[in-house]
Amino acid sequence: MIAGAWLCLAAPLGGTLLITLCGARISRRAAGWLSTISVFVAFAGAVWSFFGLRSHGSDHGSISTAWTWLQAGGFRPGLEILVDPLSVMMMLIVSGVGGLIVLYSIGYMDGDDEERRYFAYISFFVFSMLLLVQGGNLLLLLVGWGLVGLSSYLLIGFWHERPSAVAAAKKAFVMNALGDATMALAFFVLIAHANSLSFATSFATAGHLSSTTVNLVALGLLGGAVAKSAQIPLHTWLPDAMEGPTPVSALIHAATMVTAGVYLIARTHPIFEQARTIELVAAGLGTLTLLVAGLIALVQTDIKRVIAYSTMSQIGYMFLGAGLGAYANGMFHLMTHAFFKALLFMAAGVAIHALSGEQDIRKMRGIGQLMPWTRWAFLAGSLALVGLPPFSGFFSKDSIIAAALHAHWYGVILWVAALIGTFLTGLYTFRLYFIVFPGEPTPFVREHYHAHHGQEGPKTMLVPVGILTVLAVIGGWIQFAPIWTPLTTWLEPVARTLGVAEPTSWQEGLSSALAVALGLGGIAVAYLVYGTGRLAVPRLPALQRALEHKLYFDEAYDAAFYRPAAALATALRRGFEEPVVLAAGTDIGETAFDAGRLVRRLQTGLLRTYVLFLGTGMAVVAIVFLAVR
Amino acid sequence: MLGPSTAWYLGVAAFLFGTGALGVLVRRNPLIVLLSLEIMLNGANLALIAFSRHAGNGAGQIFALAVMAVAASEVCVGLGLVVALHRRRLELDVDRLSELRG
Repeated sequence: MIAGAWLCLAAPLGGTLLITLCGARISRRAAGWLSTISVFVAFAGAVWSFFGLRSHGSDHGSISTAWTWLQAGGFRPGLEILVDPLSVMMMLIVSGVGGLIVLYSIGYMDGDDEERRYFAYISFFVFSMLLLVQGGNLLLLLVGWGLVGLSSYLLIGFWHERPSAVAAAKKAFVMNALGDATMALAFFVLIAHANSLSFATSFATAGHLSSTTVNLVALGLLGGAVAKSAQIPLHTWLPDAMEGPTPVSALIHAATMVTAGVYLIARTHPIFEQARTIELVAAGLGTLTLLVAGLIALVQTDIKRVIAYSTMSQIGYMFLGAGLGAYANGMFHLMTHAFFKALLFMAAGVAIHALSGEQDIRKMRGIGQLMPWTRWAFLAGSLALVGLPPFSGFFSKDSIIAAALHAHWYGVILWVAALIGTFLTGLYTFRLYFIVFPGEPTPFVREHYHAHHGQEGPKTMLVPVGILTVLAVIGGWIQFAPIWTPLTTWLEPVARTLGVAEPTSWQEGLSSALAVALGLGGIAVAYLVYGTGRLAVPRLPALQRALEHKLYFDEAYDAAFYRPAAALATALRRGFEEPVVLAAGTDIGETAFDAGRLVRRLQTGLLRTYVLFLGTGMAVVAIVFLAVR
Repeated sequence: MLGPSTAWYLGVAAFLFGTGALGVLVRRNPLIVLLSLEIMLNGANLALIAFSRHAGNGAGQIFALAVMAVAASEVCVGLGLVVALHRRRLELDVDRLSELRG
């Protein structure tokens, strides 16, 4: 079981190294297959660990230490990995969905100039993500955390000849660095009190800390989670990250990396439970994000950006669940979301690929008639996203919503907001679907559509889409709370659902019924407005403009942080650099020059004066010697 | 000990040194300046040998030999310079050779 976990971690790293070292000696296609195989080997390792853990009983998590990584006094974190129900679940998702997406990339990236670099990066990303979820202490978790940020930066900016891609990569990196910094600060506080970053010790210590300290630690962790998972207020990087290739959006910015914040909350829940306020803040931020992102998604016209906003919104649901204490539900939604969101991105990618890179939904109208299979796959993903039975989203989303009902008045607000969110989900998802797929193809589509050897795309792209379609449909069937809960039971030793987050049967039933009804309502409105055109889009220019500007978050950050910093720098240049630093340089030079002008008179060029100086000097020395003696 | 006492020798040495120093200071012909330098060195040598005899060991004589070697090489360089000056038809006057004036 431990060997499987090490294999899982090492395989993608090996893939990266091989592709990097071989360079141009292997063909581009071979690099793609090498990367795919390495990730599937990792998946095999994850499956091996899963069955190993199952046969031992899921409460037998174990830590395997390779060596002491570094030592500073009594603080000696090891290079160790943890195999427990939570990490095994994440390993399966990351390497399984990751493998499918890397396979898809072979078709999608075919013909790109720098395919090998792409595959080296994406294997490296899978390695980093696996390190994040397998890290046996908080320090290794932070290392993985930073490395996924790095690989996300590299992949968003993969098409580095596009200035917008480079800017998006920088933005993502800076936003993520903020979160990394708050996490590091939280870890410093933990080291100061516990002198250790191992999970067990720090969780035990968290119970004895003063409430201020533990709140600070939880706040730092929340900062990291919010930045990585693109929740308000650190969410602005995710929509821009869609500048990267579509498989990257599917893997990093939908299925795996951005859900790391949910994993972090589930993993460090003993700390968060000591700081319950902060945990509820996380739930509140998630709810706010799911509403705001759902609203913004209604007006976006770029197919990938709509899906990106829906990702933010769905992660908002996961934060809501995890923040309330329903960790297993949050993780369950993470899993089903990985399936259907990767599917949506990849189906959209097939369409984008067939239209040579067009992403504007107004131009893509009617593509469904030419690509029936893609259309069905996208429809399955959309239904799963809205959460209609029997698609996967239904099972995972509703139990999160129901869990909110227990947190007093605060919970009721969250519950109502989450239900409004399901309506918005139905609306924006099917707005996208009805605009892009049904109907007569536009002239643009007719002109630019090109089939791949009579198919909708290369086999390497269609096969993963097919597999994910099946998973998006049936992936939720492994749990139907409260009757059938194997996943919650599996996660119980690591992340036990809090008693306050366990809804009763009637709450569960009521929430499900309302969520499905509202989701259907959203779909119906979308159909009336965008499918048949019977209803016009309501004219609210002010609101529409605000939403098109993404509620002015970018502008506000620009005004609050960038402009003052730039103004300060200019002021310092004018007020300090130029008059003080630069002027001081001139002054020093001139002083030396003046001194030189004074002393040069001594150099007469006459031999006799030099001899006289010499003689006088000797005489003085002699007299001093004689006098002192 | 035979002969005059050490003080006499030192007197002669001081006289030689003084003569040489005066020559270096007042003469303008580089050739004469070099000659005066030699006289100064020999005055110093005489003092060294006188002290060597006075102290009864050979250290001073070794020093004097070393000074002679230095003097020989110094004359080589100095005369070389004088010849070079002459070849460039420059006036042999140390006061005119004041290019290094600051």
